[in-house]
Order: sequence, then structure tokens, then C-alpha cells
Amino acid sequence: MAYEPVLTKHCAARDGYTLDFYVKNQRGYEGLRKALALQPNDIIEQVKASGLRGRGGAGFPTGMKWQFVLKDTPKPKYICCNADESEPGTFKDHVLMERNPHLLIEGCAISCYAIGAKVAYIYIRGEFYHVQEVLEAEIEKAYKAGFLGRNILGSGFDCDVFVHRGAGAYEAGEETALIESLEGKRAQPRIKPPFPAVAGLYQCPTAVNNVETLCNVPLIVLNGPEWFASLGPEKNGGPKLFCISGHVKRPGVYETSMHTTLRELVFGEQFAGGMIDERPFKAIIPGGSSVPLLLEQDLDTPASFDHIQKAGSLLGSAGLIVMNDSVCAVWLAMNLLHFYRHESCGKCTPCREGTDWLFKLLLRLESGDGQPKDLDLLFGVSTNIVGKTLCAFGDAAATPVLSTMKLFRGEYEAHVREGRCTLPAPWRAAHPVVAAHQ
Amino acid sequence: METVTLTIDGTQITVPKGRTVLQAAIEAGISVPYYCYHPGISIDGSCRVCIVKIEKMGKLQTSCSTVCTDGMVVHTREADVVEARAGVFEFLLLNHPLDCPVCDKGGECPLQDFSYTFGPAESRMDFPRRVFDGEGVKADVDFGPTLMLNRNRCILCTRCVRFMKEVDGDAQIGIVDRGAGSEIATFEERGVHSLISGNLMDVCPVGAILTKDYRFKTRPWDNPGVVDTICTLCSKGCNTSAWLKAKPEWARGSQLIRMTPRFNADVNNYWMCDIGRFTYHWAEGDTRLRKPMLRPSTSPGQAPLEPAAWRDVEPKLRDRIQDAGSQDPASVRFLVSAHASTEELYVLKQLVEGLLGNDGARAVTVTWTRSDKRQPEGTKFKVPGTDAPNVNGAKDLGFEVGPGNEGMPDLTRLRTDVEAGRVKAVYVLDPGPDGSIGDVSWLVAARRSGTLPLLVVQGVLMTELAAAADIVLPGTAWVEKDGIFTNDQGRVQASSRAIAPPGEAREDWQILVSVARSLGLTMPYETSNDVRRALATSKPGTGYAEADHLLFTRPVPARNWLQASNPSERWKWDFLFQDLPPVKGHSVQMEGVPAQETSIPLKPVG
Ligand SMILES: Cc1cc2nc3c(=O)[nH]c(=O)nc-3n(C[C@H](O)[C@H](O)[C@H](O)COP(=O)(O)O)c2cc1C
Ligand code: SF4
Ligand code: SF4
Ligand code: SF4
Ligand code: FES
Repeated sequence: MAYEPVLTKHCAARDGYTLDFYVKNQRGYEGLRKALALQPNDIIEQVKASGLRGRGGAGFPTGMKWQFVLKDTPKPKYICCNADESEPGTFKDHVLMERNPHLLIEGCAISCYAIGAKVAYIYIRGEFYHVQEVLEAEIEKAYKAGFLGRNILGSGFDCDVFVHRGAGAYEAGEETALIESLEGKRAQPRIKPPFPAVAGLYQCPTAVNNVETLCNVPLIVLNGPEWFASLGPEKNGGPKLFCISGHVKRPGVYETSMHTTLRELVFGEQFAGGMIDERPFKAIIPGGSSVPLLLEQDLDTPASFDHIQKAGSLLGSAGLIVMNDSVCAVWLAMNLLHFYRHESCGKCTPCREGTDWLFKLLLRLESGDGQPKDLDLLFGVSTNIVGKTLCAFGDAAATPVLSTMKLFRGEYEAHVREGRCTLPAPWRAAHPVVAAHQ
Repeated sequence: METVTLTIDGTQITVPKGRTVLQAAIEAGISVPYYCYHPGISIDGSCRVCIVKIEKMGKLQTSCSTVCTDGMVVHTREADVVEARAGVFEFLLLNHPLDCPVCDKGGECPLQDFSYTFGPAESRMDFPRRVFDGEGVKADVDFGPTLMLNRNRCILCTRCVRFMKEVDGDAQIGIVDRGAGSEIATFEERGVHSLISGNLMDVCPVGAILTKDYRFKTRPWDNPGVVDTICTLCSKGCNTSAWLKAKPEWARGSQLIRMTPRFNADVNNYWMCDIGRFTYHWAEGDTRLRKPMLRPSTSPGQAPLEPAAWRDVEPKLRDRIQDAGSQDPASVRFLVSAHASTEELYVLKQLVEGLLGNDGARAVTVTWTRSDKRQPEGTKFKVPGTDAPNVNGAKDLGFEVGPGNEGMPDLTRLRTDVEAGRVKAVYVLDPGPDGSIGDVSWLVAARRSGTLPLLVVQGVLMTELAAAADIVLPGTAWVEKDGIFTNDQGRVQASSRAIAPPGEAREDWQILVSVARSLGLTMPYETSNDVRRALATSKPGTGYAEADHLLFTRPVPARNWLQASNPSERWKWDFLFQDLPPVKGHSVQMEGVPAQETSIPLKPVG
């Protein structure tokens, strides 16, 4: 059954991002109108019934998250749209914001109405200033058309949407760090509990949701939760964007259902189109850099939250990083640890110190100076990080090491034995990571 | 009070609702390490050393941020906790210089103590440590007028950051950069400039922030004694500890080495200000009065003051006061600093009433100074304007204090009378630091010109006023005597004698008693407690009724003091002055736990 895109259908249209186009071709803001005629709680029920799960990484049911938002409180409530999109291999949210901004704006408005908020902040990644321009211009138009602001569509409901651009930190995507950053502080996470739903932005009840998550909300209201759930496997309904990168012929963002298998996504003609230069497939990271690798044997797994988890990894942010046989596992881990070491916010001890240590060990291995004890050490340091950190970053940072060591231990041993990488990999000659740090 | 009952390491513990697991463990005497937690500032959950296992919770939890619930079962000594905690300690020490032998915190350092107890036996790190010393840069940097910062030693617990933000009210300290490159810094080049900056040394769990006053001066094991006392430099009356260091063998006695705050939730919490912390050297300085002094000639400015013996000074003093008061007893006047203890004021009151009858107190002018202490708006530790500890004590005894702690003393009546030549003698009681009785240049001038025939100064320092006096009597500073002071909340507090008065200096109440006796008055006091007993009896039903039961402490060996200190001081024992000898291989807290292996056993990955 051919899948009909709903989130990105008009992405390629020249004026697809405009308000007029949105209203004309996407039944724009009909969802909002419909929602405003309902009770807020009905919307939460619909979202729950749809089975929508957060697209930001954890796959937490959105309806349930909204239900946790404290009801009986004199404090204002907030929606924070997480548009920090910094997970390596993830590049879907900016497509939605640039090419279909009104879907997000409408999603923000409906979500605010559902949880009883009057303000939504869209926190976008520091490097997305071009996206900020588009978004703000379109928000302006939405205000003029009466879809935002005071007394929206005569319903008496007020809603403001603001765009806040971060200063460029991966950790700012962690929900509590995002809130801190919005408040003008360093993007460092808070201890949970209290969860944002109880004490979030300015200590008020807050729901933090990913861009893609919020974009699904108008569709659910418009087409009904059954329609949404029917699009994918059980508990994994709805449209899903996949970001495919790496050694494939046509990297990019693809929208499909979560029935689609990893193999189809990597090799399918309508998707990434197979391995570049027809070199052999080696491994795939299915959910952005923070999740364990999967091998050829796992490729027939449907790309759903639950199936991928069963296969031993996570769908995460649905950033599929595909690697051919030229990628050295040690180099891969080093490359990723270079990222994590750089992005660690430094608040808690195991991650601050551990990521730096891991990177140094990997760099030493990769440079040919590794010693046999370093392998046990790499493993020991990684396990000392896992589960002991303040936020999920620590686990994420240890994953590339633990996962590559589990699957490709031979390559690590070869580095120690031979004092060099044994894979033929001419394209790595430049070795940018090492060059920058020696 | 609502309570919850939980089990930690098999012991049932009942605590008030809202306590965290870490607090419960500390109160129950179960040692759980911690760095980012400090009872006086917000919870951060960042250092991760306080992790414990809580049944029915998937991951290990930080005990500092987990609130106790009924029926919670906590383990702090099971193998997986021990191993995980050791792992965090290994991380914590990766970049720590371990320069304990030259670090001023060595010996009372929670990083040392907890690492010995809970850390791995050795580190597996074989890369060079991160250091901040480089070309033209040093790890040790000036951190403001009172502090030094050693960035190599910092473990980034952010207690200092939170202290400045939450307690001081001006977030001057922050972290620059992130990840392993993070470092503590101030935004402004001039460093930390705060009236309560010294607390940062206590707050810092390692030797990263040190006060310039204490740095390189001593080692904790050379500070054999500590005395619980109070600060008398303003009307707040912070509870403090005076730390003593033995003088070299050829000199006897001990000297003050530092002042630290002592927890009192109603007065100063965990803090004290820099004025109180650093202004103690005056009592031991070069201008200290050690012997009585007499001016041989009665005409002012003729002959210099000469040291004399008490037995020679006392009759002279008596004769001259009697002489001055022979025509009109009211022409003998007293100028008294509000640094005088209540005992001294009480004796003085009896003295003036003995000489002048019931309104004798009118002969006494109480004086103090006020200063403008700039502090951030939202500060949680406000230093009051009045620079003296006992204005309220004077008021309670019936002396005229005008606006009290809220304003300045009024010296015009005394001054007019002196300048008009109506006063024949002024007796000054000035046991505070130089300048603490305000501007008395008019008094000096009056004595110099002869308008005032007699000036007696009972004080601690050779001030300009003392230099102009006819008779100088060496009294004692607050650390040299037991005394009670009534702070601006009306709280009667005890200040204890920590060091002996130098030379022939005497306690001020004693001097006043002998002056009174020489003038023929009855003063049935042999000890300062006799005075307090009399005071207590004379003021039943007031804060003074228990004055003779107040606790004065004596220097106690720091270790005993730590172990004997009252439960509300556990915080200090627990993280400030962990003076337990760091004996490797043995730890009280971990008895019964199998010795750790040299390297942490590795778990197979699932
Ligand atoms: C280190 C770290 C980085 C994260 N970065 C992002 C991000 O860039 N975008 C995002 O949507 N969620 C990110 N998350 C997940 C958020 O914390 C949060 O779970 C998510 O925004 C919730 O939205 P959702 O329920 O709609 O998925 C990150 C989490 C962690 C621990
Ligand atoms: S795990 Fe890393 S990113 Fe998260 S709080 Fe700790 S140091 Fe910061
Ligand atoms: S300077 Fe001291 S208090 Fe401040 S973060 Fe470093 S170790 Fe903690
Ligand atoms: S606030 Fe007053 S009492 Fe407290 S330390 Fe400072 S000067 Fe002493
Ligand atoms: S004391 Fe609990 S994390 Fe630092």
C-alpha cells in the first residue's frame, strides 16, 4: 500500500510554506477551529486515543504527558516546542519549520488550548537563524489572520507563540536544559522530579514537545485518532519522518509509516536507494547518534519505536546513519565521542569527566598507541557513566563505545595489535577529528 | 509534626516529612558522601557521589535529591552501590591535582576524607591531568580582595555559584565554557566583591577557594583548640568558632588563627560576614595595651605616659576621681562603648548609682558607630548597620541609647558639657576595636587644652584618645573574656574566652569592680558569673533570668569538640571539619563491607 505523505506532502512546492497555500491545500487551521469547539480535555483524549508518541527521542505518549500537566494551579502553563534538533543524524524538524511552518503553529495553538496554556515558546537551535526568519514571518501572518493572538476565531481563547533561538548546544535539547536556557540561564538540566509537567518554565506546569510531535496534533484533530493510529503498527501510529544519512545513494528526509522496515528505508527505490558505490553495508544507527548500532541481520525490522527496541536499539529521533564497510568502529566511536565530549554540559561528574576520558582513550587507540588494558578501561569507564548521570546524555555518550565494542571488538583488538586501523578507508585520510585535536 | 519512616542499611529511621534520604542518613549517622549538597543552599544533584540504591527504583538515585517516603528501603553499602560510587570518585579525582601536602584544606577536606573512605584504591587514569597553569597563566588566581581560587583543585560542585546567587544575592560567580573545559570564574575581573565572601571558603568542599587571611598560615592539625563563641562586631551577633593555633614553644599560649561561622538557624544560619571573619587581628596587634599607664604630670601634654603597676595606679585613680567629684559628683562622666559586655555595664550601673544615686545612669553616655554596608537587594544575609554588639544590653540595663540599633548615639550633651568646662573627669570604657566609639577628637582636644582636667581610658588599644589620657587601664577584648551580649533581636548570647589577655591586662568587669571598691562601694563579685547571677536575679522573667546558666566554652581539642558538638552542628562535623585522620585501608563507615579490589570488576555487557 503506497503511503501518502501528510506532513511533508507540499514541501517541494515553491510557496508551500505560506499561509495561503496552507489554508488552501492542507485544510489549514481547520483543526484549530474544530479543536476550539471541543473541550480541552477531549483533545487530550483524542491525542491519547491516537497513540501519538513523542518524536523527540524518548517516544513517550504525548497524551499522557499532557495529562500530567498540573490542572489545579493558579500559575500559567506553557507549551515549549523543542526545535533544538541537534542529535547527529537528525534533520527533520527544520524541514517542517521551513517548509510547513503553519502546521507547527497550528499544532502549538491546539496544544496550548488542550493543556490550558496561553503561550507556546518554540526553542530553536542556535544555528537555525534562517529558520527563525521564516517562522517569525509566518507567525506574524497567523496573528494577522486571527489564528493567533487575542480571542482566536471568536472563541475567547488567547494564544501567543514566540520563537527563541538558543546559543547552539546539543544539551539545550534536553527538556529541562531547554527550559533553563529559555529562562536565560546556562543550558544545563535540572534534577527530576519535579518534572516539567509540574514545575517547568518559570516553575510553572509545562509540556515540552518535539516539533514533529506538535505537527501531528492538527492532523489528529482533523482526521480523527483512528485514522492516525491506522497509519502504523499498534502503538506506533501516525506518519513518521526518517532522516537517512551516510553511505546511501539518496540521503534525506523521508516520510512514511512505521510499518516500513529499515531495509526498505535504506535500499528502497522510493527512499535512500541503496548503498553508495554498491559497497557492502556494515551497520546502521537507527535513531540518531545516541542509540546502539544494528547490523545487516536486523534490517528487516520495521522502523517503529517498539520493533527497533526489540531488536536491541532505539528509534530515538529516527536519524538513520548508514555505514558501509569502510567505516572503522573505533573511528566511529571516537568521532561520536568527540561530539559528546564537546557537548557535555559539564554539570555532573561522570559525564563531564568520563566523556573526556573516553575520547582520549579512543584517540589513543585510533592513533595506534592503544594498549591492551585500554579495552577493559574503555568498557569500564563507559559502564561507570551509564546510569549515574543527571540526564540521559551520559547514557547516550557511552552507547557508541559500548555498542561498537560489543559488535566489533575484533576491530578494537586489531588497533591494539597492529597499532593502526586495518580497514582500507581512503576517504578518511584527512582525519578531521584527530587533526583538530592534536 | 508529620513523619515518615524508612529503612537505611537495615536501620529503621523516622524523620520529619520532606527530609531527603541524604539528610536522613546524616542524621542517623550513616555516612553517605556528598559535595554539591550543602544544607544552606539549593539542591543541585550534580556531583553524583551520594548515589544510593533504593528498592523498587530502577536506577541508583542521588540521595540528596530524593525525598524520603514511608516504607522506602535504602542501601548504601551493597556491592553495586559501593562499586558505582567508587566509579564516581574515580571520575572526580581524574583531574584533581592531589596536592594535599601543600593545600590548606588538607586535613579537613571532604574530598580527601570521602575519597579515602569511598573511592577506589587507585586511579586507572594515565593521561596528563588537566591543568590551568600555562604560559603566563596560573591555576591559582586572585579571586577578589579576600579570596584566592585554585582552579586545578575545583571539583565543579557549584556550591560557590549557588551561594553567591542564593545567599549573597549577586551571582558574581559562574562557570565559563562547558564539559571538561568548565571552569569557575567571576564575570568581572575584580573577582568576588561581597561582604560575605569569606563563607565561600567554608562552602567550597576542596581547597579551591581559600581566604587570603588563612592561606599558608597553618594546618588543621596545628590548630589544637577551638572555642564556640559569638562575633561582637555588629548588632547581629553571629555564632562563631574561634580557632586557635599554639604559639611557638618559646612563647606561651595560643593565638587566633581564624573565625568560622557556627550554625544558628535563628541568627546567622551557616554564615558570617567578612567583617566578623577577618577583623580579629586587632586584639593581638602591636598597639595592644598590656600594662596600666600613668601620666606623671597633671598638666596635659607635658610628660609622656609611663607604664605603671596596678597597685600604684589604683590609689592614684581613686584620688583623682574623688578629687574631680569633690564639688559635684555629677561632674564625673562616663563614655561607654556598646562593645562593653552586659556584665561590665551591670557593674558600671552599680558604680554610678553608688556614686550618684538612683539617676546615676545619667552620667553615662553610651556610644557606637554605624556604617553603610552595601549589599545586594535580595541578600539572605543582611549585615546590620550598627557596628557594636550590645546596644540592646545597655538599653535593657536602663542606659540612655536614643534610637538604639536603628540609629546613631547622641553625644551632644556630654560634648557640650565637656566643652563648657562643666565636666571635671571623663572615664572612658572602650573594649572594642579602634574607632568603635566614634569620633572623639573633641574629647582629645578638650583634654589637651585643659578644659577637661581628667581623662581616664579603660581600653584595649593605644588609641589617640588613650594617648591623651592621664590614666590608661588595659582591659580585654571580647575573645579574652566571658561576656554576654544582647543582639538586635534581643537575644542574650554568650561570648567565650578563647585566649588569655596579654601582659597585665584585666577583664573589664574586674577593673570596674576594683575601681568601685576603691571608691568605697560594695561589690560582692569574685567571678564574672557572680555578676551574671546578680543580673539574673535582678531581672526575673526576662532574657537575662538565665544569664548565669549560659554556656561558656573553653578551648577544646578540635577532635573532641567535633565529636562532642551538639547535634545541630552535625553539618559542620559532616562536611566542614572532617578531621578524622585519613588512614588508608581502614574506614569506620565501611566496616563490614568487603575490601574493594584494586580495580573495579567489570560487568559483562548484556
Ligand atoms: C541530551 C539530549 C538531547 C535532546 N535533544 C533533543 C532535541 O534536539 N529535540 C527534541 O525534540 N528532543 C530532544 N531531547 C528529548 C527531550 O528531552 C524531550 O524528551 C523531548 O523534547 C520531548 O518531546 P516529545 O515527547 O515530543 O518527544 C533530547 C534529550 C536529551 C537527553
Ligand atoms: S549527563 Fe552530561 S549533559 Fe547531562 S547533566 Fe551530566 S554533564 Fe550535563
Ligand atoms: S570552587 Fe569550590 S565550591 Fe566552587 S565549584 Fe569549585 S569546588 Fe565547588
Ligand atoms: S554580621 Fe555582624 S555579628 Fe555577624 S559576622 Fe558580621 S560583624 Fe559579626
Ligand atoms: S550530593 Fe547528591 S549529587 Fe552531589
